[in-house]
Amino acid sequence: MFHFNLLRFTVVLTLVLSASRSWAGEIVFSRDIRPILSDKCFFCHGPDPDQREAELRLDLQEQAHASAIVPGSLEDSALIARITSADPDTQMPPAESGKKLNSQEIDLLKAWVQQGAKYQSHWAFSSPTQLETATESDWVRNPIDAFVYERLNQQQLSPQAEADRRTLIRRVTFDLTGLPPTLEEVSNFLNDNSPTAYENVVDRLLKSPHYGERMAVMWMDAARYGDTSVFHADGPRDMWAWRDWVVQAYNKNLSFDKFSIYQLAGDLLPDATLEQKLASGFNRNNGTTDEGGAIAEEYRVEYAVDRVKTTSNIWMGLTMECSQCHDHKYDPITLTDYYSMYAFFNISADNGMQTRNGNEAPLLEIPNTENLKKLPQVREQLASTTEQIEARKTEIEPAFQTWLTEATTKALAEATTGRHLDVDPVHRFAFEEESENQISCTFTEDLKGTFNGKVERTEGHRGRGLKLAGGYVEVGDIGNFERDTQFSVSTWVKPAKSSSGAIIARMDSPNGHRGYDLFLQGGSIAMHIINTWPTNAVKVTTKKQLEFDKWQHVVATYDGTSKAAGVKIYINGENWDWNIEQDHLSETIRTEKTFLIGTRHGGALMQGEVDEISLFDRMLSPEEAKTLAEDNPLPSLLAIAPEHRTESQLQQLRQHYLTKLDAPYQQLLEQRDAFTKQIAELQKPLTTVMMMADMGTPRETFILKRGAYDSPSDTKVEPNTPAFLPAMFEGAPRNRLGLAQWLFQPNNPLTARVAVNRYWQMLFGNGLVTTLADFGSQGDFPTHPELLDWLAVDFEQSGWDVQRMLKQIVMSATYRQSSHTSVDSYQSDSANRHLARGARFRLQGEFVRDNALFLSGLLVDRLGGPGVKPYQPPGLWEEVGLSGEPKFTQDTGEALYRRSLYTYWKRSAPPPSMQIFDAPTREKCTIQRPRTNTPLQALVTLNDVQFVEASRHFAERILKLEGDDTSRLSSAFQQTTARLPDAHEQTVLLNILKHARENYASDLEAAQALLSQGESARDAALEPIEHAAWTVVTSSLLNLDETLNRE
Amino acid sequence: MHPLEEFYLQQTRREMLGRTAGGLGAAALLSLLGKTGSAASESGTAKGLPGLPHFTPRAKRVIYLFMAGGPSHIDMFDYKPALNDIHGQELPESIRNGQRITGMTSGQKSFPCVAPMFNFQRVGERGTWMNTDLLPYTASIADDISIIRSMNTEAINHDPAITYINTGTQQLGRPSLGAWLSYGLGSENENLPAYVTMISVGAKPGQALFSRLWSSGFLPSKHQGVQFRSAGDPVLYLSNPNGLSANMRRHMLDGIAELNRARFDEVGDPEIQARIAQYEMAYRMQTSVPDLMDTTDETKATYEKYGPQSEKKGTFAANCLLARRLAERGVPFIQLFHRGWDQHGNLPNELRTNCLSVDQPAAALVQDLKERGLLEDTMIIFGGEFGRTIYSQGTLTKDNYGRDHHGRCFSTWVCGGGFKPGIDHGETDDYSYNIIKDPVHINDLNASILHNLGINHKRLTYKYQGLDQRLTGVEEHHPVKEILL
Repeated sequence: MFHFNLLRFTVVLTLVLSASRSWAGEIVFSRDIRPILSDKCFFCHGPDPDQREAELRLDLQEQAHASAIVPGSLEDSALIARITSADPDTQMPPAESGKKLNSQEIDLLKAWVQQGAKYQSHWAFSSPTQLETATESDWVRNPIDAFVYERLNQQQLSPQAEADRRTLIRRVTFDLTGLPPTLEEVSNFLNDNSPTAYENVVDRLLKSPHYGERMAVMWMDAARYGDTSVFHADGPRDMWAWRDWVVQAYNKNLSFDKFSIYQLAGDLLPDATLEQKLASGFNRNNGTTDEGGAIAEEYRVEYAVDRVKTTSNIWMGLTMECSQCHDHKYDPITLTDYYSMYAFFNISADNGMQTRNGNEAPLLEIPNTENLKKLPQVREQLASTTEQIEARKTEIEPAFQTWLTEATTKALAEATTGRHLDVDPVHRFAFEEESENQISCTFTEDLKGTFNGKVERTEGHRGRGLKLAGGYVEVGDIGNFERDTQFSVSTWVKPAKSSSGAIIARMDSPNGHRGYDLFLQGGSIAMHIINTWPTNAVKVTTKKQLEFDKWQHVVATYDGTSKAAGVKIYINGENWDWNIEQDHLSETIRTEKTFLIGTRHGGALMQGEVDEISLFDRMLSPEEAKTLAEDNPLPSLLAIAPEHRTESQLQQLRQHYLTKLDAPYQQLLEQRDAFTKQIAELQKPLTTVMMMADMGTPRETFILKRGAYDSPSDTKVEPNTPAFLPAMFEGAPRNRLGLAQWLFQPNNPLTARVAVNRYWQMLFGNGLVTTLADFGSQGDFPTHPELLDWLAVDFEQSGWDVQRMLKQIVMSATYRQSSHTSVDSYQSDSANRHLARGARFRLQGEFVRDNALFLSGLLVDRLGGPGVKPYQPPGLWEEVGLSGEPKFTQDTGEALYRRSLYTYWKRSAPPPSMQIFDAPTREKCTIQRPRTNTPLQALVTLNDVQFVEASRHFAERILKLEGDDTSRLSSAFQQTTARLPDAHEQTVLLNILKHARENYASDLEAAQALLSQGESARDAALEPIEHAAWTVVTSSLLNLDETLNRE
Repeated sequence: MHPLEEFYLQQTRREMLGRTAGGLGAAALLSLLGKTGSAASESGTAKGLPGLPHFTPRAKRVIYLFMAGGPSHIDMFDYKPALNDIHGQELPESIRNGQRITGMTSGQKSFPCVAPMFNFQRVGERGTWMNTDLLPYTASIADDISIIRSMNTEAINHDPAITYINTGTQQLGRPSLGAWLSYGLGSENENLPAYVTMISVGAKPGQALFSRLWSSGFLPSKHQGVQFRSAGDPVLYLSNPNGLSANMRRHMLDGIAELNRARFDEVGDPEIQARIAQYEMAYRMQTSVPDLMDTTDETKATYEKYGPQSEKKGTFAANCLLARRLAERGVPFIQLFHRGWDQHGNLPNELRTNCLSVDQPAAALVQDLKERGLLEDTMIIFGGEFGRTIYSQGTLTKDNYGRDHHGRCFSTWVCGGGFKPGIDHGETDDYSYNIIKDPVHINDLNASILHNLGINHKRLTYKYQGLDQRLTGVEEHHPVKEILL
């Protein structure tokens, strides 16, 4: 075995001793006294004036010394008299408080009073400073160890030796990636004789994309990430792009200040980038309601309250939420402090009442970057095609002229023979002209129509058409028909989805809807002929509906009888049946109002496209309607003598030639359409996320009485940070951005401590402050205050470099200690507060599952994407869902084998196997998961199909190895634990194998049943009895305590 | 570890170091301070907190029949003949008195009062009013149950209200009543969870339930309610996979335990011993749970008592029967959820359907426990998260109406295990709208339930976020002594 002595160095740090670092019997207020006073006395004698009894405050030295405490004198100190009194009337704490001081606590208070009853400000509210020490030991690898070693020394304890390399690589690989090391990685490490062997491993792991996934798992609980909306219906939402950003941010080692500021206020940064806006989705992860009876304001306030809680828990390590209703009982957080923080979030733009289905504004579209990369090329292709189309238009001129001459001759001959139907409108609008704001009649060029609102030229059914996208065209005094005259209208129309509005109309809506129109009603076509709606009017509506986004031809004819029966509607030349809605018309339909395309005067705007609108002063026959629909105006145009043709008519003929007769042109058009479509497709966003935004005009914030949304007081507050902490810098913006930046001001005492403490917890199982989210007076005192402060200052000075911090910790001798000691060591310090051994703890649920998938070879090594739904027992969503909805539909294929980070997180019914392993529901910010050890956990890893399937694939991999039972077992054991089994372990496992073999040899059916667990196929070449027997062995391996733990 | 304990630990250690070797003193002192390692506290021996119960309990267990959605107290329990006089009249503003109502009816122009369209009779010795059309069986146990007609809650919508009554607060993330009991009292049965929930199948699904209603909140997750199911595994992941026999499982577990024991010798971490114990308990559950769920040993008479639906798995009736079996086996907290009580419209029909499902089995459960001598130390509670409005939601017709949510008052019945039998408590006004006598807040009921179990609700606490958190919250709440024996 390689000796590490070579690379050991001796750290000699020169330290100035501080008062708080002596552990030699002197009473330290912060550590020894404040916790007692806080827990037993502050409720009635603390910061909250509403609860304060007898005007006595024990949280401030001056006030305590002025009344209950006489420093140095037990006899004169009322505090001592009261806590030692046997009289229930005077005894403190009073019986009804449920609090009691034990004799040690009383002794401690006495000793403190005797020593002068000195107070210290609460440790966490003063800025951390880096102390120095003079610790000399060749155990020490870096400053972390110096602090730990000094404490151990004082405790007369010694550190453990470094864990063996196999244990160490498994430990650090799980800690930094949430996955086990491969056999190859283990053997590389064992064979690396360089002094940087371990460091190489750490560097490799920090570069792994799985590092970001591992870190994100921790962040998801804090950020209350979920794929559903929590309250009432708990419907689906899409925030996964935000989750993927978190993974990427960790992987690119975004500094913690940026990581935080983007999430708290990315939307408010100047010229915010897409990434920054996306990150702000952090504060849209809160639960939202859609409950029908909910009062929107109640929930809007709830969301702001949630955001204050989340921010203060994660970054400040404070339970600010306690001050929503009253001044904090233990910490100097006042109601005003609370609502000043709340004011930052009281102006958020999202509503109280939100959707049960999808994302709620404000939204951010996330571009599909992969697709966008392809965009330039397709655009280029489109441009080139467009050029070719233009070129083709002139190229065809000689061929066109030749055809035109021949066709004209033929048409003129046919016209005289009457072979072509003469469908001759009074007015016709073909929309072929160039103008950006006018159309003109095909026959009478000075009859113009003027665009109003959003009207665009577009590719029509033939040649150009008009797109009505929020506008209409006013044509003038045409089509002034009366109820006793025949008339017809004809048009091509391409309706947009669910649009209603007049296609053409001469109608005065405010005046009883007098007039007539051709009306698009959803998908149906209606015709109104009206004197006064609805009493004196005719209306018919087709029973069938047009298709959306498709050109269809519409003809409506009227026979002048004032009867509904006199109206006929032809779609694409076919007479459509209609329903009569009104059929009483007895007076004039004439109106002064002009003829409009796309609406009626005072009516809704039609949405869609139109082309080739014609008006006729007679009733067209069914044949004529058919001819028009067959789209053949050609005979008419050709039948005009060349010298009488207008330029517009010639242009129509040219257009006809190009689109109907010129194959190359048609191909080019198809090509262009394909490219255009492709561009639209490529530009489609990948997904959306909900992002943060503030209201344009901010809402004022008033303190809410007792925290109730409907009881605002008269006390107005401005956005601000708590008064007992250093103020926001002059000129800092008084918004979320200012708040976020304040967290990272150099004089903020909390942020760095709170953050490094979480990293420590991740790597040691417990924080240096064990109450991760409470650095207040009720929180635990740090086990190693100087170390915590040293790390905090170092973190800040490094530019908040997360990977550097993690590396520093895992490189320490403290981290690398062996966790194999003795029962006595575990029992005397079960929480490992002295750090006299390496940490050993159960993997969190996600990694228990990921580990099994990894060993099975099933794990899909792909990052990101929407949440996936792997196996879960049936019925879990339905039995709690609103009206039994939504129903869980399990995914198949790869989605079954993704890392657990990507499992779809429904917050009213979270993935059960994760919940059994202590995962929170994530309805609220959770900083600290419990770590329990329960029978239900055993049932998961023994029986959940996910684990059984993983076992049989693990067995499959083992069976494919060359060798005998012993060597295969050895490999399986090594893959699971990173170490070789000893003789006893081999015997026990081979015994399981033998027993299983015997069992399945006589029960092939059972073997096959076991091997059909899960959806993945098995290698049919493997002998089923062997395969099943080995599955029992691998399942046993997955259930070893050692496998479930990182040691 | 508390800093003070640590402080003493050092003091003691220093003193002892002179005499003995290092670690011993520390371990001794830890046990002196009543602290045990985390392993012991997490192990399967589910004993409760030291010092609990605080006083002699009346009850050992609770069966909570939770009617989710807001059963109409007016149409079931809170009847008064005067209601007929106000039928069809507008609800006077003096009664509503500006109180908030939900977004579903706040836009209504008219608030016509509706008298129940059912027959009510005075039942039991005290002659309490009950809907005998819908609740004939409940009427027959009137002398066993006590009706609290003055239950109240601040919440007016399902999600906050159901969270409130089940966890004592509208805030998310808090432990449920059952989790508190599991934490405080543990269970006398080591082979079954301390907190079992069941959801009726076949009932109209209606309003949503949430796993937070039986969650452990900030308590260790082993205290969360374990749902027993009628279809598939009765407890999630309970059954061995197909093709893996009980014999093979036993053999495999023996091997795993042997390896874990060896590991413990090597490493010294007591969590390993706890793991061995948990695997054993899992194995025992594989027998004890199916044994519990298999009701073939019940007599025909029993099935008849619980009604025709009791032979159909997953129904409320079948779950009531299972609740009795759980009670017999010493499971301390059993909670049945029955959904579908949210009658915004079509109340007469839907209420009839619901009562048909619950009336007979709930009454049978009371009688059955009584006959078996279990009612004395088993509480049964029947109620929902709020009541319903006197005024009709939507149009009131000759034979149909709906009612919106109403938190100002509602009715819950309680019985057994320390509750007085056969009394009525609390009174509402002529409109069943406001309480005029003896209000019982939902957390007063929770405090009463704890009281019957020998727990002072103010002293069942768990330190979280620096505060001694408790089920009944920071407001003043009290056990309702008038309804307690």
